[in-house]
Amino acid sequence: MAPTLVSAAVGALLAAALLGSAFDRRSVAIVVAAAAAPDLDAVASLAVPGATNALFHALWIPLAVGVALRWDTAHRERSWLRERAVGATGDRAVRVAWVALASFVVAGIGPDLFWRAGVNPLYPVHDAYYLVSGRLVFSTQEGIVQTFVTLGREGPGVLPIERLGTSATHAVPTWVNPDGRPGLSLDAEREIALVRTGWQLIVVASAVAMLAVRFRETDAEVTR
Amino acid sequence: MPSTVVHAGFALLLAAGLLGRHYDRRALAALLVIVVVPEVDSFLGPFMPGAHRTVGHTLVFPALAAGLLYYDTRIRDRSLVRSRLDDFERADRWIAVAWVALFAHAFAHVGLDWTHLDGVNVAWPLVDRFVHLDGEVVFSTAEGFTQTFVEVQVDPETGRRAVDAGVTGTTETVHVNNPVEPRDPDEVTEEPVDRRFPVANAGWRLYLIGLGLFTLAARRLQGDV
Repeated sequence: MAPTLVSAAVGALLAAALLGSAFDRRSVAIVVAAAAAPDLDAVASLAVPGATNALFHALWIPLAVGVALRWDTAHRERSWLRERAVGATGDRAVRVAWVALASFVVAGIGPDLFWRAGVNPLYPVHDAYYLVSGRLVFSTQEGIVQTFVTLGREGPGVLPIERLGTSATHAVPTWVNPDGRPGLSLDAEREIALVRTGWQLIVVASAVAMLAVRFRETDAEVTR
Repeated sequence: MPSTVVHAGFALLLAAGLLGRHYDRRALAALLVIVVVPEVDSFLGPFMPGAHRTVGHTLVFPALAAGLLYYDTRIRDRSLVRSRLDDFERADRWIAVAWVALFAHAFAHVGLDWTHLDGVNVAWPLVDRFVHLDGEVVFSTAEGFTQTFVEVQVDPETGRRAVDAGVTGTTETVHVNNPVEPRDPDEVTEEPVDRRFPVANAGWRLYLIGLGLFTLAARRLQGDV
């Protein structure tokens, strides 16, 4: 599992990029929380075998929320979300909801799909972990070298990208569940990773700098 | 280098967060120019050993530019930049874009290259040292809080402290391969020259490209540009 801090950092960057006039401390907190939310399936893995990077990393929850959001805000006569928007206009609440949903998918699930642990995107309907891994290079000697997508991959699954196994064979260790299997292992050593590599540190540092700049701007506007 | 495409992807995400009301095609185009220009130091390689990742990738010049821009637009009575761009609104806009470009250059370009291969010559020409950022920050129940980005070692005999922030060498010893000079000029080999232009050499780099494209598409959907 990519560190939750990295998901939160990408969520913060998306919040700054997409919230527009709805940007403030409260809406940023919502979008960052949405980015961290998928990692809660690690808690479920204590009871459900192989739930980590599967249960809340599958596309069903965001799909259902997206459909519900679209139906509520565009097709109903009286939108539940717009009427619930306390202390804000309805449009603002709708914008924050869409950005939070994008953050759940792009910042919450995304880093796991592209880095190390992989994601089980259609669990439990189609139980297979996938990882986007490889390279795309133009070489004057070898031409186009592309290894992200190749046919005839080994392992369970149908997509032509790297396959890591099923929820029965591929366990993702987390600090909540160090061996990735059901049951509390209370005496096991636990590791909470904040960042695992250099690029993740850069992403986190960018997000901190971004929020510092943006919050200073909005605070200046308020006092003006 | 993580390819220029990867830099551009991450830079677009950062720019969308910072440009505010100045977000439009011209501002983004200017930003992309700032992303590409530092790579020109590859072409200095044949004349100056170790030029790539040095001349265009030091943080000294951006810091200098930021200092000058701040002095000119905030401290001086009559700003040179403002007097050149006579229209107040236009001057405001390009000053803002310049700050965003500096931010994106520092994080999306120098920052990401810092974590790759031999890193960047971050304080050249003041200090000629390539540094490579690599490590992790972990809290474990067995060992507590540990970070391996900067290693501090105390020699038990002399008591001298040695700090290692990932120094990989100087312009004399380091050559970072690039399409202009695909291999170290000091290396003697019969193999044919292979110039490689990477788009993404790892899944996470593809992810950063995707982040930039997603941001562009989402902003478009939201009705901006």
